[in-house]
Amino acid sequence: MENLKTLVDSLYLLKPEIAISCVLVLVIIMDLIMDKNKTFLPYVALTGFIITAFLVVEQYFFKTSITQNLQKLLVIDAVGAFFKLIVILASCLIVYFSLISKEVKEAFDRHGEYYALICGMVIGMFFMISSADLIMIYLSLELVSLSSYVLAGFTKNSLRNSEASLKYFVFGAMSSGIMLFGISIIFGLTGTTNLLAVKSVMAAGGNSLTFLFASILIFAGIGYKISAAPFHFWTPDVYEGAPITITAYLSIASKAAGFALLIRFITLGYVQQIDASGAWQLVAGSIDWKKFFTVISILTMTLGNFAALWQDNIKRMLAYSSIAHAGYLLLGVVVLTNQGLSAVILYFIVYAIMNLGAFLVVMLIANKIGSEEIDDYKGLGYATPFLGVCMAIFLISLTGLPPTAGFIGKLYLFTALIEAKMIPLAVIAIINSVVSLYYYIRVLKHMFLTRPQNEDLVINTSFAEYVIVLVLAVPVILFGIYFTPIVNLAKNSVALFLQ
Amino acid sequence: MNLEIILFILFSVIAAASAVIMITRANPIISALFLVLNFACLAGLYLLLNAQFIAVTQIIVYAGAIMVLFLFVIMLLRPEHDLTLQKKSKIKFMAAAAGIFVFAQLVYIIFFFSPNASQKTSVQSSINSGTIEQIGTAIFTKYVIPFEAAGYLLLAAAIGALVLAKKKFE
Amino acid sequence: MTTIPIEYYLVLSAFMFITGVIGVLIRRNAIIVFMCIELMLNSANLSLVTFSSYMGNSIGQVFVFFVMTVAAAEAAIGLAIIIALFRNKMTLNIDEVNIMKW
Repeated sequence: MENLKTLVDSLYLLKPEIAISCVLVLVIIMDLIMDKNKTFLPYVALTGFIITAFLVVEQYFFKTSITQNLQKLLVIDAVGAFFKLIVILASCLIVYFSLISKEVKEAFDRHGEYYALICGMVIGMFFMISSADLIMIYLSLELVSLSSYVLAGFTKNSLRNSEASLKYFVFGAMSSGIMLFGISIIFGLTGTTNLLAVKSVMAAGGNSLTFLFASILIFAGIGYKISAAPFHFWTPDVYEGAPITITAYLSIASKAAGFALLIRFITLGYVQQIDASGAWQLVAGSIDWKKFFTVISILTMTLGNFAALWQDNIKRMLAYSSIAHAGYLLLGVVVLTNQGLSAVILYFIVYAIMNLGAFLVVMLIANKIGSEEIDDYKGLGYATPFLGVCMAIFLISLTGLPPTAGFIGKLYLFTALIEAKMIPLAVIAIINSVVSLYYYIRVLKHMFLTRPQNEDLVINTSFAEYVIVLVLAVPVILFGIYFTPIVNLAKNSVALFLQ
Repeated sequence: MNLEIILFILFSVIAAASAVIMITRANPIISALFLVLNFACLAGLYLLLNAQFIAVTQIIVYAGAIMVLFLFVIMLLRPEHDLTLQKKSKIKFMAAAAGIFVFAQLVYIIFFFSPNASQKTSVQSSINSGTIEQIGTAIFTKYVIPFEAAGYLLLAAAIGALVLAKKKFE
Repeated sequence: MTTIPIEYYLVLSAFMFITGVIGVLIRRNAIIVFMCIELMLNSANLSLVTFSSYMGNSIGQVFVFFVMTVAAAEAAIGLAIIIALFRNKMTLNIDEVNIMKW
């Protein structure tokens, strides 16, 4: 009874999750009742997401301590609220993308299920971002995974689609199985599944070798979600085979949740204290995360960037580029400091905008010409100057050149590395960025410097499409020049970081 | 030798053997049946460990529901009966070698970094920890949020399975 | 449980886990690959129940309950994916599913 009373008292902390589950139920019921006309369903989902976004913003300013709320299963703090905000804003944009996507329109009779599954994913990601208990981590990870397996194979008329879904499932189920085995070892060592309790048992003199082994097994599950190097095999196939809206969604929201989980897992389970300079002191005898992440991040970015050089399908190329970006983001985690964390947050804002933008342009072009091959992009810069210029902005930003937001993001990451005296790693990252220039520019070369295959091809852009492309393209330039607000946002989030 | 040890040896040997047979059979139906045998032995082991509730759930959920679903799908699709083992023996060999290596590592960890040799408790508390009452209380008080999350999981799975398995829309 | 050392249960669980991993790597039939994944989940369950019983701590068994829920959901989704794939391609062999490179 005591337990339930504290739960009811802290229920206000779960407002966003409750709101989103209402949306889920509402979407399903509306879908069942209104059998004929389902055009309004996306608007229901969109409204629900916007309301949830406001609730998440409110949560940003909560100051609670983990011991008093939600039976130590969930942590609500500013960093978590920030990642939730990224997830929910990405969801709003994806619903909008789905409205104008041809692929999704063709599956119109399954719209109810489509939006319901997106809601399910959002709930899973919210729990994933705030979980502080291994049971919660496992369940939320599975909730996100199961919904995304289905969404990856959603249109299912094409073979590519079901193939993507099968590959996603096999890799996902396998890595979550490995993660579960690691969790069972940790439970055996400590007799608890709460990360804070695990930390205190380990600090009191634990079994370092076994603990190390279990930590690596658990990282298999998280690494799969963020597509870090040895667990990235599914990424190119799934990104290529899934509908574009879902590809964009997986590359932003799912990755944001994965990173939030990784940061949460390390800070709650392994960090003894954060000292005055903002460096994270690890528990004695725990795995040396610094070395481990250095290796993983170098592998991830190098593999992503070099594999992207040979791709002919633009979705596949963007998939490898998103693997490379996971590598850059890991650089912010490697340093294990608050500065690194704020660099990750800053980079995530930028990455979300520019990557969503790039996928949006690819989707709009695929709607018109029905192809995603880079060779078919010949001369498109003349057929549709507006989309061409916007694509150029997004790709330059993904490379990390000034005056775009991508430059600011990379600048802060590299500064954090240099402050932590990890110069060699910074050099490797810069070389990687230079390599990435080649494959991004190749697309632009095809668009602007080659003759169009079909001289009289004209692509018209509707008003709705204009608006959404501008909503994403303007911030990329704006934040590249006037970046104080996002830098302050990142710093504030970390300042409110709950210990 | 008392009954407990005999039962343990019986169940564990059958479980291990049926796992190996499961991954080496060509016919998926035979594999599935051996997996059912493996699950049944696990339920026996759970009983030896005083976990009555989990043992019963194991039979009902795994052996009963999940494996019947597998068998149903296998018979529905009737895949060809040829040996679908990996053709390249090199990969097979590598996989087995890596597996044995990791297994040796695990055994080493289990015996020499034994996690909780000191944490043995009385039989009575072990029996108490496995009752439906204990588990039910924990699920519906302390773990009520994960319980709700599991509810969403099942809802998502139901919707998802329907979407994927429904016939194509013309 | 007084006479059997905990290590025996753990070795059995490790053995089943490794068997499952090897199975995923060497089998090409998608359904059997799924069954191997179920085997991996079960080995983790066995070690959770063992620890929980030897420590007199019911958290492990609560966790096993949740794992079973997940396994059931996963089996439903996985088999639905297989059915969808089989309709398109008429095969269950993972190696033949390769329009895109692996």
